[in-house]
Amino acid sequence: MVSTDRMRFLIVDDFSTMRRIIRNILKEIGYVNADEAEDGQVALSKLKGGSFDFVVSDINMPNMNGFQLLQSIRADESLKGIPVLMVTAEARKEDIVTAAQSGASGYIVKPFTKATLEEKVQKILLKAGR
Amino acid sequence: MSDGDDLYRNVGRLTRQLHDALHELGYDRQLETAVGSLPDARNRLSHVSRLTGQAAEKVLNGVDRTKLELRGLADGAAGMAEALRADPVGAIASGRLMGFLDEVSASTGRADAQLTEIMLAQDFHDLTGQVIRKVVTLAQGLEAQLVKLLVECRQLEEAATGRPGEARAAAPAGPVLEGPVVMAAGRCDVVIDQGQVDDLLESLGF
Repeated sequence: MVSTDRMRFLIVDDFSTMRRIIRNILKEIGYVNADEAEDGQVALSKLKGGSFDFVVSDINMPNMNGFQLLQSIRADESLKGIPVLMVTAEARKEDIVTAAQSGASGYIVKPFTKATLEEKVQKILLKAGR
Repeated sequence: MSDGDDLYRNVGRLTRQLHDALHELGYDRQLETAVGSLPDARNRLSHVSRLTGQAAEKVLNGVDRTKLELRGLADGAAGMAEALRADPVGAIASGRLMGFLDEVSASTGRADAQLTEIMLAQDFHDLTGQVIRKVVTLAQGLEAQLVKLLVECRQLEEAATGRPGEARAAAPAGPVLEGPVVMAAGRCDVVIDQGQVDDLLESLGF
């Protein structure tokens, strides 16, 4: 089990403002160790190059979108166990179902509150036994 | 017949020829499609205007509340300093100092919550940015259609015949992902809040 302050997050979003917002909220709720990526491609390369415990990812991004990133993570033997929380403006039911079927650990629609992000992160970690 | 009448008649004839040529080439339908995308662009821009307005209100309200907290703290500190200077023992013995420290703690907590709200309000950059990208795509599609039309019209003018058009402007490929929902009213294929997301996932056993 990784302690809260050592747990390493990867925040994936093409908007730097949103990455900063998520990073700040994670810090406020006790997760200070986070890195950022601007799309799925950069995220995947960072994930393969370092040890991350949690991914918070947008869906609609250039180069490699969040669904493709999620599928790549779940298909990779060394990465497939990492919880992936989708935080996105995609509100179509079919997108939510696709995310769940592709192995997303949780789904948050933007705009969201600090309480929602905190609740989902903790619920996922509890379920993963971390 | 005056020169003015001739001019009007010629303009009328050219307009009819252009209309017929456009119809023959199928451009009237393409233009209709292009123009049909304008209300969508208008809705999206109205949505952007609404979101930025809401974000600005949220930030201004947060700033007002935070300033109020800071003013309360500054006034409280000034009063406390005065009390300590006048009667240090009494200020502590009466519990006034402890009361002030408790209030400092509560007030900074409230100010911190307001700052978090201000930070979260910046999500408008992401949400409106996605919508604006869609409008830019719509505008590019419209531009492509109009440029194509101009080129064809010039060729028509040169050939002075209504020959069939060649390659038509391809419709821009629709993006797979929709982005933020601009008009959720009357739609049953989208969720409108986090509660609906959670219900849907729960119904699927997640």
